[in-house]
Amino acid sequence: MHEDRRDKNLRRRLTSWVDGEREPKDQTLFVMEQRPPRRARQTEEEFERKDRDRLQKFFNWYPAAAAVICLVMVAVLLIAVMNMPGFGQADNPINNEVSDRYLKHGREETGSENAVTAMIVGYRGFDTFGESCVMFLAVAAVMILLAREEHRPADADTEEPEEERADLILEQAARPLIPFMLLIAAYMLLHSETTPGGGFSGGTLLGAGLILTSAAFGAESAQRLLSRRQYSAVRTFGLLAYGLLYGAYIFIGANGLQNHLTRLFLLLDLAVGLVVACTIYGFYALFSRGRI
Amino acid sequence: MLEDILQNRYAVTAVILFGVGFANLMLQQNLLRKVLGFNIMDAAIFLLLASLGYIDGGVAPIVGDRGFDPLYINPIPSGLALTGIVVSVAITAFALALIQRIYRRYGTIELRELLELAKKEDD
Repeated sequence: MHEDRRDKNLRRRLTSWVDGEREPKDQTLFVMEQRPPRRARQTEEEFERKDRDRLQKFFNWYPAAAAVICLVMVAVLLIAVMNMPGFGQADNPINNEVSDRYLKHGREETGSENAVTAMIVGYRGFDTFGESCVMFLAVAAVMILLAREEHRPADADTEEPEEERADLILEQAARPLIPFMLLIAAYMLLHSETTPGGGFSGGTLLGAGLILTSAAFGAESAQRLLSRRQYSAVRTFGLLAYGLLYGAYIFIGANGLQNHLTRLFLLLDLAVGLVVACTIYGFYALFSRGRI
Repeated sequence: MLEDILQNRYAVTAVILFGVGFANLMLQQNLLRKVLGFNIMDAAIFLLLASLGYIDGGVAPIVGDRGFDPLYINPIPSGLALTGIVVSVAITAFALALIQRIYRRYGTIELRELLELAKKEDD
């Protein structure tokens, strides 16, 4: 009986509200009243103690939680791996029509016998452009973080380490090694179309040759070989050349003229190689002596 | 079970390596070791990619006039691994540079000491 009346009452109110006969009750005041009274402000010590407690609690449960997360992730991945198709079978889903096309038509479409090079520089060259940009930016970031100011050498912890004479064994071993390294690097850079290798591995080897020069004969001789200004110029030139050449390659190649451009691969690879070599050498120089 | 593991031995190894690297990343307090853990994870992923592209008895995908009698391995994962290596190198160098700056400023690379020092500096 009582329920019924309240129900009816509610319905009446709802219909009258829908008909626009009355405004809904303003509830702001009600909410304000319900809010619990504001507590007094915590003192500094109390706040600090609470903060430390929270940090302590966090450090207490962190290792256990991290271990559990690791184990769960490994378990999930293992289950996923168990259901993967077998290793090394030719009919695995990964060997689909894309790789088939790269292998079958890569040679005529890009002029490169090496399908990996054809893919990296030809079909997916913008990916490689992105990689070059990543490396360029990485060197720039490391330079920002580590390069020491040249006009302020008086600071105690930015003091230049004394130019010590390099190790005799290293020097004697490096002397015959460096020409061969540069030779293999050049070979890799120039022959990426027909042999394994290419811009990345050749560039890394080139950079390794520079690093060995710098380690064995001191920073001075490496700087004579590649001064700071030259370094920046080569790095930027490599990236720009790659961007422009690949842009040209894509736009001209899209019109069916690609056969004239097969030799462009060489230049593209050289550009990538320059960027990579500068990156590797730049990391070494910046980490070891704080300047190029 | 064992059959499955043997069948996918490279992938299983990669998962275990990934777990080791991830545990290092999460549990070590030393920032340098965290970066090492990150690199182990990278290595696991490269192993997985390289094993995915392999075909039994396949040869390197250098298409001469040889034809397709011995199958070529899949060239795509090789290229993807290259991308991964580049990103890994860049990230590692950046992280190490940051760590060096942190060490120069605070004199330590232990995470907890760093947190305390940073908190003290905040006040």
